[in-house]
Amino acid sequence: MKNILIIEDEILIQQSLKKLLERKGNQVAVSASGKIAIDMILKGDFDRIICDLMLQDISGFDVIEESKKRYSLEEIGKKFVIMTAYNSPQVLSRANSYNCKLLNKPFDNLDEAIRLMTE
Amino acid sequence: MENRSHTINQTLPKLIAIHIASEVLSDLLNNEIDLSIFKLVESKEAQFTLLKKNSRLWVQFPDGDFCDYPYYIKNISRILENAKNKEKRIIESDDLFNSIIKSTETLQKKIFSNASMSPGKNIKDFWDEVIKKVTNISHNSHSLKGLVEKILELPFLQQFQSSLIILHLKGQTKAEMMGVMWRSEKITGLIEVKDFNSFFNTIKKSKIKSFATDDFLKLNIPFNGSFLAKEITSKKYSLVAIVSRHDFLNYSDQEIELFETCIDLLQPHFERLIDQEFSDKKISELRMCLKEFPLPVRVKDTQSGASFVNDLFKNELQDQDIFFNKKIMGSYGIDLYDSDELRHYAFDLFHFQRISLLGELLNTLRHELSNPLFGLKLSSQIFCTLPVSNDDKELMREIEKNIDRCQSIIENFSNLYQTETDLRPIKIKKIIEESLVLAKSEIREVSKKINYSENCDEILLNVPLIFVVQIMFNLIINAAQAMRGRTERAELIISIAQNEGFVNITVQDNGPGIATDEINNLFKPFFTTKSQGTGLGLVLSRNLALKMGGNLEYCTEIKERGACFRLKLPLP
Repeated sequence: MKNILIIEDEILIQQSLKKLLERKGNQVAVSASGKIAIDMILKGDFDRIICDLMLQDISGFDVIEESKKRYSLEEIGKKFVIMTAYNSPQVLSRANSYNCKLLNKPFDNLDEAIRLMTE
Repeated sequence: MENRSHTINQTLPKLIAIHIASEVLSDLLNNEIDLSIFKLVESKEAQFTLLKKNSRLWVQFPDGDFCDYPYYIKNISRILENAKNKEKRIIESDDLFNSIIKSTETLQKKIFSNASMSPGKNIKDFWDEVIKKVTNISHNSHSLKGLVEKILELPFLQQFQSSLIILHLKGQTKAEMMGVMWRSEKITGLIEVKDFNSFFNTIKKSKIKSFATDDFLKLNIPFNGSFLAKEITSKKYSLVAIVSRHDFLNYSDQEIELFETCIDLLQPHFERLIDQEFSDKKISELRMCLKEFPLPVRVKDTQSGASFVNDLFKNELQDQDIFFNKKIMGSYGIDLYDSDELRHYAFDLFHFQRISLLGELLNTLRHELSNPLFGLKLSSQIFCTLPVSNDDKELMREIEKNIDRCQSIIENFSNLYQTETDLRPIKIKKIIEESLVLAKSEIREVSKKINYSENCDEILLNVPLIFVVQIMFNLIINAAQAMRGRTERAELIISIAQNEGFVNITVQDNGPGIATDEINNLFKPFFTTKSQGTGLGLVLSRNLALKMGGNLEYCTEIKERGACFRLKLPLP
């Protein structure tokens, strides 16, 4: 069982992922706002943080940057899974610089995506 | 008033200069942080007030003198930034003030410890000189490259052998390196964005600003040794300026500070020259567009008064007799070249702007729709796994299918506007299907009859799918619009046949047809019978067909019903 945080402002995606991950026996918290998520990350204790890049208030990268207050770069690489519908070279190169996993939306294979989020 | 003599010691307290990093400064100025908290920061040597004036930060001394020498005191900007981050507002803190005072003291010591920097002069004169020299080289530079080279002409950078910049215009896939080494040898190069980004970030984060070329092998900087670098960023570009002595010695604090100050002072000039080169690039792009443009055209740049023509314009001008008066073009808001003797072809620039805008809009739309569609798909997938009746499951699958369809429609639409042309062999059926999907809303009530030739499935065409689909889409839409409002049932017949190395796709409707005297005008630009038409659809379609080695023509032989167009595509 893992303690997972989903940061996603598209409520249908957020809730669906929550359900799917909970079915696999994980404990899941959600946030649609990046700013609130930062608070949750700094106070909570998550094994995995699944973060959309295009949030309404701030970007997913901002969330990761703020998380540096608490986690080392190595930990960030392990904890964060970035989700994005925009995969421009700039976004890819920045995501790679954190060394974390990257999921393109829509997922090509749902099971694969869920496995990547929980392994 | 205090006696301001020429001895350094006496001028000391007056010459504290503070330059806040611009991003911090703009926050200070915009967020209306109360600067009065900085008032009367006292130390044994200095007493000054920070003021906002003319959107800059000034230092005021007790005798009323203002001082605005741009001097980058990293400590101060960092402290302010930290304080700002922590408290949202800069709060009154003894520690903060003490740090500021300490920084300024250190700065003064640094400046005065090196007498060679200002032999026989006081500090104010020295910095005046720096500003004068920097202004001088920037005013004498008319290109970005020129300015980069001239940096080495600054008297206080005489020891340096190379000066270069790496410039990344936002949105480009490569960053460009330009400059000189050994004071004369030109440096050029292109750098991958990701390498540039990591370089840029290293420079930005570094406190020392002194680096070695060995640490950035990917950049292929063509000399060895240590170098000084400073980054500049704006909305349009990111830039790193670099100077080097080509040796492996460390740089002194004075050198670092001088270099940084110079680059700070040069920033607006970089900006000006980059803007200028942007517009040069725009003109060369315009020339390229004109070259490729399928119609004779002449465009006048309202700002410079220059006018641009393409070859077709030069060649065909005399033969053409289509004339569009100023009134029409005026309504498009375009100032097209006009003269008394010549009758000109003109074209609807806006139409093309609209098309490229449409491409961008579709791209945005695609991203905006993808997310909610994906949410819908995920949730319907979840419902499918719940213990519900088979009927309900079936319903959910139907929803899923529809979501996939929406996704593929929006993707097809935005693919239509891609600039790259995909040259994979394509089947004719795919062309017809894609065109019908795109035109679906226009041909809803139309009965469609498609006559595929026998060996249709075996034929693979080596033409860009988007070209053909665009032509077909155009023909189908034209047909559908012509048949609208008729009493008899609208019928669209698409037939495929092979003939002498070509595949012929004919699109026939049962609308009113085309009057014999209009047939000759069909492929002339701006000829249209529709009230909302641009008169360009068929022209552009034929041009695309010609580009692929095919043709688009009106079938005069079919007279009994409606209009009929034949698209000829070459067999491989």
